[in-house]
Amino acid sequence: MKSTGSKRLSAACAFALSLSFAIAPLATSSPTRGTTHTVVIDGVRFEPETLSVRPGDTVVWVNHDPFPHTATSQAGRFDSHEIGAGASWQYTPDKSGVFPYDCTFHPTMRATLIVR
Amino acid sequence: MKIIGIVLTTMLCLAAGPAGAQAPNDAQIASIVVTANTVDIDAGKLAESKSSNSEVKAFAQRMITDHSGVNKSADELVTKLKVTPQDNPTSQNLKSGGEKNISNLKGLSGAVFDKAYIDHEVTYHQQVLDAIDKTLIPSAKNEELKALLVKVRPAFVAHLDHAKMIQAKLAKKG
Repeated sequence: MKSTGSKRLSAACAFALSLSFAIAPLATSSPTRGTTHTVVIDGVRFEPETLSVRPGDTVVWVNHDPFPHTATSQAGRFDSHEIGAGASWQYTPDKSGVFPYDCTFHPTMRATLIVR
Repeated sequence: MKIIGIVLTTMLCLAAGPAGAQAPNDAQIASIVVTANTVDIDAGKLAESKSSNSEVKAFAQRMITDHSGVNKSADELVTKLKVTPQDNPTSQNLKSGGEKNISNLKGLSGAVFDKAYIDHEVTYHQQVLDAIDKTLIPSAKNEELKALLVKVRPAFVAHLDHAKMIQAKLAKKG
């Protein structure tokens, strides 16, 4: 029993570790310049709502909703314009800063891109 | 607006339903979803052409686009599942309630029209959300149909919140 439990624990740890690698690029800042990050638009939300990247990294917004959205910087730094259902748009920030953005079609959708 | 609220409540109570009411089957749920979207698309088309308030027009355009997108997904799913949407008392009441709303709105203009349209949108989205939560999602047997309902639910929440934001602005202007 102990051995089975131990194997299960190992398997769980391995699974958790693999998950952390899978999730890490989406949720944390990248250690390598030029990394591509994904923001999923689904259920009328940006996920993750806060994303930290480095200048030179690329951010791709992928729209999984069955209708269009935008990713529009409130300060005018970037504007995807319409991202259709199933479509995507990418942006490579070159300057540091904190950039709140929203969807101009759905004012309840708000998120922040942090570049540092 | 109270009358509209009562009509909406009556027509959707069949969907949000009292305990013991017969749950709709998947074909009926599909019909309710498509009708609920179509009713809001039709109201949006009227508001988009009739309102002169830019925010109300933009909201109406959004309702047309978003609910058309949801209906496209629903159409694709029922085609894939080989389900024929089945007319039922809830979808029929939704349709007749939508027609009454259009008829009422056609007789209004200006700020009165904007207020009536937006007030109805708030009530409508709330009632549809109640139906989704209390009857449609719990009753859906097919997992893909249930998943579609879960997926599109946030759109109704976002539309409700958006409509409430405009409603508050219109009240300030009032």
